[in-house]
Amino acid sequence: MARKLLLEKAHVEGIRHYDVYRREGGYRSVEKALKMQPNDIVEEVKKSGLRGRGGAGFPTGMKWSFLAKPDGVPRYLVCNADESEPGTFKDRYLMEFIPHILIEGMIVSSYTLGSNTSYIYIRGEYDWITDILEQAIAEAKQNGWLGKNIQGSGFDCEMYVQRGAGAYICGEETALLESLEGKRGNPRIKPPFPAVKGLWGCPTVVNNVETLAAVVPIMNIGADEYAQIGIGKSTGTKLISACGNINKPGIYEIDMTISVEEFIYSDEYCGGIPNGKKLKACIPGGSSVPILPANLLLTTAKGEKRLMNYESLSDGGFASGSMMGSGGFIVLDEDQCIVRHTYSLARFYRHESCGQCSPCREGTGWMEKILLNIENGKGKISDIDLLWDIQRKIEGNTICPLGDAAAWPVAAAIRHFRDEFEWHVNNPEKCLTENFGLRHYADPVHVGV
Amino acid sequence: MLHSELSVKISSVQKMEAEIKTIKVTIDNITIDVAPGTTILNAARQIGGDVTPPAMCYYSKLEGSGGKCRTCLVEVAAGSTADPRPMPKLVASCRTGVMDGMIVKNITSEKVPEARAGVVEFLLLNHPLDCPICDQAGECHLQDLGYDHGKEGTRYQFARRTFKKEDIGPYIQLHMTRCILCYRCTYVADQITNKRVHGIVDRGDHAAISTYISQAIDNDFSGNMIDVCPVGALTDKTFRFKNRVWFTKPMDANRSCTTPGCCGKATLWLRGEEVFRVTARKDEWGEVQSFEGKPGWICNTCRFETKETSKWNIEGLTTISRHSVIGANKYNTLEMPKETIKKVMSGVEPKLLMDIHSVSGVNTNDIHLSELKGPAHSEDFKK
Repeated sequence: MARKLLLEKAHVEGIRHYDVYRREGGYRSVEKALKMQPNDIVEEVKKSGLRGRGGAGFPTGMKWSFLAKPDGVPRYLVCNADESEPGTFKDRYLMEFIPHILIEGMIVSSYTLGSNTSYIYIRGEYDWITDILEQAIAEAKQNGWLGKNIQGSGFDCEMYVQRGAGAYICGEETALLESLEGKRGNPRIKPPFPAVKGLWGCPTVVNNVETLAAVVPIMNIGADEYAQIGIGKSTGTKLISACGNINKPGIYEIDMTISVEEFIYSDEYCGGIPNGKKLKACIPGGSSVPILPANLLLTTAKGEKRLMNYESLSDGGFASGSMMGSGGFIVLDEDQCIVRHTYSLARFYRHESCGQCSPCREGTGWMEKILLNIENGKGKISDIDLLWDIQRKIEGNTICPLGDAAAWPVAAAIRHFRDEFEWHVNNPEKCLTENFGLRHYADPVHVGV
Repeated sequence: MLHSELSVKISSVQKMEAEIKTIKVTIDNITIDVAPGTTILNAARQIGGDVTPPAMCYYSKLEGSGGKCRTCLVEVAAGSTADPRPMPKLVASCRTGVMDGMIVKNITSEKVPEARAGVVEFLLLNHPLDCPICDQAGECHLQDLGYDHGKEGTRYQFARRTFKKEDIGPYIQLHMTRCILCYRCTYVADQITNKRVHGIVDRGDHAAISTYISQAIDNDFSGNMIDVCPVGALTDKTFRFKNRVWFTKPMDANRSCTTPGCCGKATLWLRGEEVFRVTARKDEWGEVQSFEGKPGWICNTCRFETKETSKWNIEGLTTISRHSVIGANKYNTLEMPKETIKKVMSGVEPKLLMDIHSVSGVNTNDIHLSELKGPAHSEDFKK
C-alpha cells in the first residue's frame, strides 16, 4: 500500500471542517513555517524536489526563487484551480473533501513568498466548491490562521476565491491573471513572466492546487523524507484521476515508482479493463498529452517497463513516449475509435481557443472539420497528411501552450494510429457502423486476459 | 511613499540602461547597434529592406499591440553573448527584445519561411478574398503578405466563416468577415479615443469585433481605426465604392484643426480636383507617421467632413513606395541601366535575339498580308 500524504485523512468524517482537520494535525505546517525564514522554506521546497502538478512539471522551489522582490511592490500568490482539462479532476476532489489542506498550503506559501493577498482562481463550473473553500477560509480566519498578524507572527494574509467564467484558456497562467484582473482571458505575451510582472503588474507566483497542497506534507515530514518517496526527479506522491474503460475510475494517490501496468491492472488502483476487453490506448496525463498505443504505454521503446512518473512517461520523446501532464489518466479499450476520439478532442480545443493568435484560432477549427469528415467516411488519404501539416504549423508558433495542446493529440493519433485513419478513409460505409478494433495494437502483456 | 520608492527604483534602472549605450544585434548576417529595449522587429526596421519581417498586428504607435498574428516569427540562433543558446521556438519579433550579441535569422532561416507561409494560410483560411469589391484592395497588408509569403491555391475545402453585417455608426463600415483579429482598432479606441465602446466578443474562430448592443462608435478620433486596420474590415463609409485607390492621386496637405489632439496633417486622395478621401499620413511600414515624436492621428472632422481642397493647404505629392500598386503609372522618370548588354557580354553583340526578325520573311514586304486568302502560313512567304 503506497504511502498517502495528501489523501491520508480524506476519509475522516467531517475533515472538511476546521475542528476535525485541526484535530487530525492540520495547520501544524503553518506553525512550523512561521518560525522559519522564508528563504529557508524555499530551500526546503527545492530540496524536496517538488514539481509543478499542473502539467508542465517545473520544479516549484526554482519557480519560487525566480520571484522578483523589488522593495515596496506587493507580491501575489495565485492558486490555479481552473482545472478544465478533459480527464483531469484531481483538484476538484482535493478541494471538495479536504479544502483546508489547500488553505494551509497557501498560507505557508504566502508567508514564504511574502504575499499578503492570495487568490484562488477556481473554475466557474465548480460553483459548489467555491462555497466550500469560502467556508474553509472563514473558519481559518476565525481561528487566527488568516487575517492580520497570523498567530502572533506579524505576518498578514488575506485570501480570496475568484470564480472563472467557463473558459479552459483561463487555466493558462497569464490568461488566468488577465481574467482575475477582470479582463478578457487572453494569454499574455511572454516575457515578461508573471514572476516579474504578473497580477496588476506585480511579481506573482501561480501554482496548481495540488502543488500548493503538497507543501503541507513537505513541511510536516521534512524535505528529505519527502524526496525519498518516488524515484529520480519524480519525488513525492502524485494524484492521478483515472477514467475511461477501467473497473475503478477515481482519484488515486500514487508514489511514482509503480508501473503503468500495475496502475491499470492491479485491484489497488484501476482494477483492469471491464467486460473482458483489451487495452487499446491511453492518454496518461490529460487530454493535451500524446496518446499512446498499449504496447508503447506499458513498455518503453527500449523495452523497459514504463513507470508512472515524469521521466518514464516521457521516455522516448513524442516519437514513442508521452507526458505525465496533470495526471488525467484516460484509458481506451478495444471498442473505442481513435478517429472519433481525436475529433472530440479537436472539437474541444477549437471551442476553447481564445482566438488571439492566428495559427490556433484558424488551425484548430480546420483540424476539427477535417477530422469530422474522416470520422464520417468523407475523408481522403491526403487529408491525413494535411492534418499532419496543420498540426506542425500550429505547434510552437502560438502565444500560449494551448496551440501545442491542440496539436499534440492529433499528431500522436496519426503517428501511432495512422492505419486506423486510413481504414476510415478506405471504408467510408463500414466506418459508420463498425470500429477498427485492435489489430496490431493488441496489448502485448495481457493478450487474452 | 510607495510611488516615490518605485520612481527611485525606475530611475536607477534607467541610469543603468543609460550606461549601456547601445547593444549589438545581428539579423540575417547584418549587424546593427540599437538602443536597449528595442524589439527585434524594430531593429530589423532600422536595417530595412527584405530583412524586416512583415507585421500584421503590431503597430509601433499603439502600446501593447503585437504578438498575435505570428507573421513576424523569426528564429533566434543565439540569445545573447552571455547566453548564446538558441531559442527553442520561433519568436514573435515584434514582442521580443534584443539582447547584446543576439543572432537572429529571418530570411536566412530554414524554418521561418515555412512557418510564415503557414501563418499566411491560416490568415487567409476564412478570409473571403473579395479583393475585387473591397475598398482596401491596393493598400491591403494582407494582400501584400499573401503575395510575398503565401502559397498559391488553398487546401481549405470547407465553407468560410461569415458574419452578419453590423452597423457601427455613420462613418465606419465593419466587414467582420474580412477581419484578421489583429486587435489594433481596440487599442486605438483604448488609447486615442476617450472611451471604448467596441471590443472582441466571443472567442476562438467565432471571435468578432463588435460594439455594445450595436452602439455607434461616436468619438472624434474613431476614424483612426480605419487607418490602422490592415485589411478591409473597417472602411470609410464616405469613400466606399467611390473609387479604387490606384486611380486616385495622394497629396500631402495640412490645415489648422481646432480639435485638441488632431495633428491636422493628412493625405488627400484626389481624382481630378475632387477629394475622395482623407487619411492620416502613412510611413513606409504602413503606420501613421509621427510628427515631433507624436503619432499623427487625425480627427473625424478632418477625415470625414473636410473634403474640399480649398480648406486644405496642399504641400505636394505624397511619396509612395515604388512597389505599391498606388504608384503604378504615376512615375515618369525612367532610369536607364548604366551598362548595355554589349558591355556586359564583353563586346559580343547579342545576335539571336536581335536578328531573328531580319531573317524572317514576315518582315519583308514581298507579299502583302491582304492579298492572302485565309490565315497566313510560312509557305506563303517562301513563294
